[in-house]
Amino acid sequence: MGEEKDLRSSLLMELRRGTLVLSVLSQMGEPKYGYSLVQSLEEKGIDIDPNTLYPLLRRLEKQGLLKSQWETGGSKPRKYYHRTDYGTQIYEELKVQWEELSESMGKLLKEGEA
Amino acid sequence: MNGRDQELINRYIYQVVRRLPRDQRGEVSLELQELIGDMLEAGASAEEVLSKLGDPAKFAEKYQDRSHCLIGPEYYDNYLWLLRIVLTCVIATVVIVSVIQGIRDGIVMSDGDMTGAAVMAVGTGIANGFTGIVISGLSAFGGVTLAFAVMERRKIRFEMKKEKNWTVRDLGDNFTGKQKIWTPGNLSPIPHKKALISRGDSIAGIVFIMIFGVLLIFAPQFFGAVFRDGEAIRTVPVFNLDRWNIILPFFILSLVIGLADEVLHLVVGHYCRLVMISSIVTGALQMILLFLLLKAFPFWNPDFATELELYLGGQNGTGLNEIVMRWNGDFVSNCLLVFGLALTLLEVGSTVYHTLRYGIEDPV
Repeated sequence: MGEEKDLRSSLLMELRRGTLVLSVLSQMGEPKYGYSLVQSLEEKGIDIDPNTLYPLLRRLEKQGLLKSQWETGGSKPRKYYHRTDYGTQIYEELKVQWEELSESMGKLLKEGEA
Repeated sequence: MNGRDQELINRYIYQVVRRLPRDQRGEVSLELQELIGDMLEAGASAEEVLSKLGDPAKFAEKYQDRSHCLIGPEYYDNYLWLLRIVLTCVIATVVIVSVIQGIRDGIVMSDGDMTGAAVMAVGTGIANGFTGIVISGLSAFGGVTLAFAVMERRKIRFEMKKEKNWTVRDLGDNFTGKQKIWTPGNLSPIPHKKALISRGDSIAGIVFIMIFGVLLIFAPQFFGAVFRDGEAIRTVPVFNLDRWNIILPFFILSLVIGLADEVLHLVVGHYCRLVMISSIVTGALQMILLFLLLKAFPFWNPDFATELELYLGGQNGTGLNEIVMRWNGDFVSNCLLVFGLALTLLEVGSTVYHTLRYGIEDPV
């Protein structure tokens, strides 16, 4: 029983993992700090663990898709991330790919129902 | 927030960042403080927040993007296999050497009392053997592991270089203008049957190098004339053991170079440019080392002839005496040099022949 549950959750995690970068990039047109991103994704029905998101943000910055800046004006220092031009370009390309993919997937899954 | 919560949070952050590269610790630590602070503000308790973030080791793992392995799956099988061979022959050699040494010491120290000799032999043999096995086993293990770890790193760099330099490499045969795109034309051909390097030959080479190496390190006095002198067994070493501390490193260096070449043969498995270049470089280096050893160092035991004559003085007229009388280090050096040169040329020549004849990859 436990194994079955493990398998299910690991398959689900794999499925979600591919969509994470696209989800994050979609929200980064405006500067956001980590936790506000967690919350805004959650509101829109995308659950992401902070311990996945924070390392991901760093990686995306390293790849040149995001840029970060520490803001020290508020009650405590916060690191704000936003998309770079390169990041926006990649995001647009990924978006097109995603739409095609989800259309094809939709067809595939409907076929199964019939 | 009370002091205990703050302490828990500090411990948590410490547990994450201590697992990260030094240059990232400061920044990640600030990020985590920000994150935990935000989560606390959202109304959770410190314990809830940290439980949600989960095991700090796993959190830290997600920050690492490179794989942590010394020897990757591509080399792992070969590594284990070779390690087994190397350890077996190192240990076997040490055991044999210790047994012989034990017997000899036993005879020398016991003055003909056979039981005493046996006890002595077993005692010293076990003592020497045990230290020998530990020391040489660990060195052999370390050496093989190091060689494979270097190959693992080299391979990674090699592949990256290949991708970047694709234009240059490809100019010759199927340059398409699109360098980074893989085409079936990039497939390297299956090696010609005659281009395959026999695993047996490589193993034989490796085994020989290991045994020779262990003997040189642990029992250089074995290389010499051995004879009975009444009850005692005497050896007159042929090498200059007084200067052994200078000579041995050169010997070992030469063996290590040879070993690296053999391992490369074994892992690549077929003749190709890389193997050919390695063979040529190894041959050249070994010739230089051999020349230095034989010509520039006091390699031979200068007293070999006189010592031997001293012991053999009584037994006249044997063929052995003839050899002793004519013993001449320089002459032997020259013979060995010629012999080594011939052997190296043969080895390198055969590799070059096989590579040029069967091993060069033809463009499709």
